Formats: sequence, structure tokens, C-alpha cells
Amino acid sequence: MKLKAKSSFNSLVRSIWHNRASYLFLMPKLSVFILFIAIPVVWSFFIAFQQYGVFGSEWVGLDNFKKVFRSDAFYTALWNTFKYTLVTVPAHVVIALILATMINPLGKFGQSFFRAAFYLPTVTSMVIIAMVWRWMYNYRYGLFNYILGWFGFEPVDWLGQSDTALWAIIIMSIVIPPGVGVILYLAAMSNIPDTLYEAAKIDGAGPFQRWWRITLPMLKPTTLYLVMLSTIGSFQVFTQIIMMTKGGPGNATETLVHIIYKTAFRDYEFGVAAAQAMVLFVIILIFSVIQYRVLRTDD
Amino acid sequence: MKKMKWITIVAVLAMVVSVFSGCSSKDKEDSGAADEAKDWTGTITVWDGPRWPDDKDNKYHWLEAKKAEFEKAHPGVKIEIVQVPWAEMADKLNIAIAGKKWPDIAPVDISGGAVSINQIKQGVIEPLDEFLTEEEKADFYENALEAYSYDGKIYGIPNSITVHAMLLNLDLFNERGVEPPKDGKWTYDEFVEKMKQLTFDRDGDGKIDVYGFSTYILNGYYEAWPFLYMDGGRPLSEDMTQYTFDDPKVVSALQKLADLKFVHKVAPPEMGGADVGGTWKAWGASDQRTVAVEPWATWAIAAAQGEKYKTNFMVAEYPTGDSGEPVTIGGVGGWVMFHQEDEGKKAMVAEFIKYISSTEEQVTMAKNYGTFPARKSASDQNPFADNEQMARAMQLTEHAVMLPRHPAWKKIDEQIQSQLQLVLNGEKTPEQALKDARGPVEEILGE
Repeated sequence: MKLKAKSSFNSLVRSIWHNRASYLFLMPKLSVFILFIAIPVVWSFFIAFQQYGVFGSEWVGLDNFKKVFRSDAFYTALWNTFKYTLVTVPAHVVIALILATMINPLGKFGQSFFRAAFYLPTVTSMVIIAMVWRWMYNYRYGLFNYILGWFGFEPVDWLGQSDTALWAIIIMSIVIPPGVGVILYLAAMSNIPDTLYEAAKIDGAGPFQRWWRITLPMLKPTTLYLVMLSTIGSFQVFTQIIMMTKGGPGNATETLVHIIYKTAFRDYEFGVAAAQAMVLFVIILIFSVIQYRVLRTDD
Repeated sequence: MKKMKWITIVAVLAMVVSVFSGCSSKDKEDSGAADEAKDWTGTITVWDGPRWPDDKDNKYHWLEAKKAEFEKAHPGVKIEIVQVPWAEMADKLNIAIAGKKWPDIAPVDISGGAVSINQIKQGVIEPLDEFLTEEEKADFYENALEAYSYDGKIYGIPNSITVHAMLLNLDLFNERGVEPPKDGKWTYDEFVEKMKQLTFDRDGDGKIDVYGFSTYILNGYYEAWPFLYMDGGRPLSEDMTQYTFDDPKVVSALQKLADLKFVHKVAPPEMGGADVGGTWKAWGASDQRTVAVEPWATWAIAAAQGEKYKTNFMVAEYPTGDSGEPVTIGGVGGWVMFHQEDEGKKAMVAEFIKYISSTEEQVTMAKNYGTFPARKSASDQNPFADNEQMARAMQLTEHAVMLPRHPAWKKIDEQIQSQLQLVLNGEKTPEQALKDARGPVEEILGE
């Protein structure tokens, strides 16, 4: 057994040495990843079991996790984050799919133009977008209440009422075009062989049937990837919250990452914040596994 | 026997040495921190936020000038100024403290906004007692020094006192023919009457364009809180072990604030939201001016006297409630020193803090930055002789109540403020909201 382990270790070393040029190229990115992602993640796992102090920490076992699960605010944040995710993820994926389906038949110029146009919000800072939307939701001077006024409706305090604040943020997130999704779907669509569509045409399939029976199934791996990516992003919603509502009114827009941020950098309870982050990690992991099992293609 | 004798001699010698060494260290302490600072050279990092601008719109010119003077007087000492917007000061400090990369000096208080008692307990903030003589301590207002004291030690040098005051747009008062309160004093009922007269439809379209009063509710901001204190209630018991904000005195006071919006309809629908900038612009921006009266901290007086927001205004007290006494929330600003390893540097840092907190500098700060001096000697120079509004606001410091200095105040504050938001957006009654805050606050107090 020992001999076998030693031999596989030797072969790993030999393989690394053999491909040393590739590993050297990987090294800069890998170093940054290890330094700024891997080490902090592992470190935060250990902090979750400690009462972290500036000049020293104390091991407290599961106390931080008990604190997390005893907090009503955490459950409110969890529920709000679920609501946000349940609405925004399907919306993002469906909108990306519809947009890509509409852009795909266009010529080269049309495709490039719309690809760039829909990708633009992705490279725009969420801080800027949130500030603009905060103005649009303004009670007295906002665009939305101005439009409502045209139709004789009373203005709405979009971000100031518990029953509208979270929806206002959800709507904002949905309306921003999912640039990454559009690009990925377009790339995946271009890889679907034309012969499949030609064969379907010969068999008498109409445009919708071809889309439903060929395009959609062939896009399943991309959809899986997008759903997972979007779910992870939605569970980590933060910038919109801190810029637009700071979790209020009351706790109406409190979300998990916002509560982690406050626990760490406002209350200095790094151990509890790390425990909250671990809980978030497990939730995302469970969702990702479920999504993978439901949406994966056997081939 | 001989052995015993030797042990006795060694013990006596050890005692003598320790007594003398104790004396010498005491002597060293007494000789002043200046000796330790004398030989130290190196860089002192100071964080500061923007203050009043010079001709080139440089809002850090005051500290830059002090840096140049200090560096000239102390060859080998370099002052590095890090410009930090006030809105980011607490967050940046929090992150710096978490990473043990704090500056040497920062302009923060120890109430919990940026630095808290917990950090003092952990040794992040240096006590400054050894650098202040009894005479120097006596020059500070008692409440100012108290705001930087914990467990019998002083953890910062106060440089300013601020209060919240009501700012009245006199143009709107004149437009409606409303008499401003005499000497800035009014009862709640008088206040409501005047606010009613100041709420009107200017363009005749059947909708109200100008409101009498507005304010906002946000964690860490206390413009609305003197209203909650007006009937005599306070958030915590004196020993800070009990939540007392659901007392009938506070419920009635909060009801009075909510009534301004829902019963008397003298406040706009967005009153009580979290939009600080929007609330200020409604009062101060020349293209809006849609609210006649708003409560603000004293920085707003300087802002309303400046070019950008120049307003014809006056300062008034908060209206009095059942307690019959005017009340406001006060705050004390100053400089704190973060943990130092080197005694020489510590002494030099203290010297710089004292240099920028001198009587002369506090007078300069008061005249230009809209704060009140924390030193009696600075107040004696009457910095507001030609500034009636600041002079009036300074009188309010007599009625200033400081916020509870509980180590977890930020968490308590969040629980209370989030409930206040729900009262002022009409979702909860004052009684229900203040009762709902009890559970979470008691849990925090119990920690």
C-alpha cells in the first residue's frame, strides 16, 4: 500500500516536472488564487470556531454557529435572500435565453452590436447602477412615480415600505440585462450543428418546434452553468442593498452577505461572521448539487 | 545559618534595587513624555476627513499646514496624511483594525461609531493620560473629556463638540408670514401650529409642494432623536443594563413625531426614510427648498452659510415636550492614538495630537468648520462673536445629552432605528415598534 502511494506521488512529481513550462505559466494566476482566495477561505473556516480578537483569539467550538442560528435577523436575511434568488435566477436565465434567441439569427454586425449593448451593464459598476435606480425610485422626484402620475396613480414609496422595498431591488436586478448569459448562450447556439436544424426542417418541424426540440436541449449544459453561476451571485447580493436600503426599512431588505458584512466590520465579531459565511457556503453548495443533479446531461 | 545570612543580604539588595529602579522609572515618567519623543524620528500616519476648503478647494489645507509646521519643528519626523472621506472613515478604520494596519492617529470618537469600548479593552487605542498635565485636563469641558474616558483613563483628546439643532428657512417663514420662534424656543404645540402654516400648495395644482418639517432615520444618525427624548424618556437605564425606550414617555414622544406626518400632515411622505442626501437637499439645495424646518448637526450651519447652500436661516431649539426642557443630542469629536510599540514614537504622536488640538487650533476649527471648542480657553476667545447662528447653537450645548456609551451601542442602535423606520412609514404604532425592539436589545444587553 505504502509502495503504491509512493509510486503515485513519484509519478505526480514526474508529471509536474515534465509539464513544468505549463505550470510556470499557471504560477502567477495560481499564486494570486492561493493567496487571496484559498488561504482566506481556509482561514475563515478556522475563525468560525474562534472568538477572534485583534491581539489574540480564543477557541469557542460551536458557539458562533449557535449564535447564528439563534438570531432572528439571520433567518429574516436568509428568507429575503431566498426570495431574491428564487425570482432573479429564473428571470436572468430566461431573459438571457430569449435575448440570445433573438440575436442569434442576426448578421455579424447586428450580433456584435447587441452583444456589446447587453454586455455593457455587466462592466458598469453596480454602485453607479444602484445610485441611478435609487434616484428613479425617489418618492418625489423619481422617474417611476412621475410615470405613475401620468396615469393618475398615487406615488409609491418604493424603497421606504416593507412590502415594496425588496421587490424594488429584485425588479432592478432583473431589468439589468444578463450580459454574461447572453454571450454564453450565443456561443453555445453557434456550436449547435446546422445539420440538426436541416434534418428537422425536412421532417416538417416549424421554427418553435426546432427551438424547443433542438436548441433548448442542446443548451442544457450552458443553462446548468448559468443557473449555478446566477444562484451563487444571487445568494451574495450586497451592493444593491448597501447602496439603496442598508437592509431597511426594518429588516425588509436584509440579506445574508449584508448581515455578514455588518457582523464582521461593524460589530467586529469575525468569528460569528465567519460562521455565517460557512452557513452561506453550505447553502450554496446544497443548491449547486441539486441543480447539477436536476439539470446535468448524461452524455 | 551562613546560608540564611546570604539569602537575607540578596533579598534586601533585590528590594533596594527594585525600589530604586521603580523610582527611576517614576522619575522618567515625571520628566515628561517630551524626553522620550526627543530622539525619535520616523513617519506618523494621520487619517483625516475633508474640512473647510481654501481658495483652491483643498479641504485638507489646515492639516497640511500643521504637518509642515510640525515637521519643521521636529527634524526627522514625517507626517503622512491619508485623506479619507468622512462617510468611509468608520468602514475603513474597521477594516484597518481587523488587519492590524491602523493609522497612528484618526479623528474619531470612542462611542462606537468607528471605535468602540471593545477595542479599548483589546488595547487597540492608547490611553493618553501620561501626556496630559492636570492643568491641561482642566482646560477641557468636563463632558468633552468624559466622552473620551473609559475606566478612569483618557483615550483621546477632544477637539470639538457638536449638537443637533433645528434649522429654519427664514425665506419660507417670510413667504408665509410666519413668525419664527422667539429666541429659538417653542413648545411642541407651537411648533405644530407653525409647521401647519408652512405646509402649502405653492403652484396651485391641488398638491402640497412645501412642507413644514422633515427628517430621516438611519443607523448612526440622531437628527430625529431629540424628539424621542422630549417627554423625558431615554433608550437605556443609567447603568446601561436595561432597555427603557418602550417607556410611555418615549411612546408619547415618538407618537408626536409620527403625528407630524400622519395626523397634522406637515411632513412629506418620505419623512422617516433613510435618504440623508435627499432630506438635506429638500431643505438646503437652492433648486428645491421644499421643507421649511429640518434638524441637523452643527456642520449644516457652516454648510448653510457657505456658497453652495447659502440660505437665509436661523437656528432654533427642538420643541419642548412634556418634560418642559429643551433637549438635543450632543457629540464630541477629537483625535485618538492607535496602539504603539515604540515609546518614543508614542510620545511624538501624542505631541502631534496636542499640537493640532491646541486652543488656537480649536478656535480656528470653530470659526471655519462649524464646531464648538472642547477647550474652555478656546471658548473664552469667543470664536462666534460675528456668527449669530453658531453662537445660538452653542447655547444648545447646555441641553446636550450624550448617547449611551455601551460597547454594543451600534447593534442596539440598529434595532431601535429599524423599528423607528417602521413607525414613520406607517407600518407600526410607536408602542408596538418600541416594544418589538425590547427583545433584540435585551438580548444584546445580556451578551
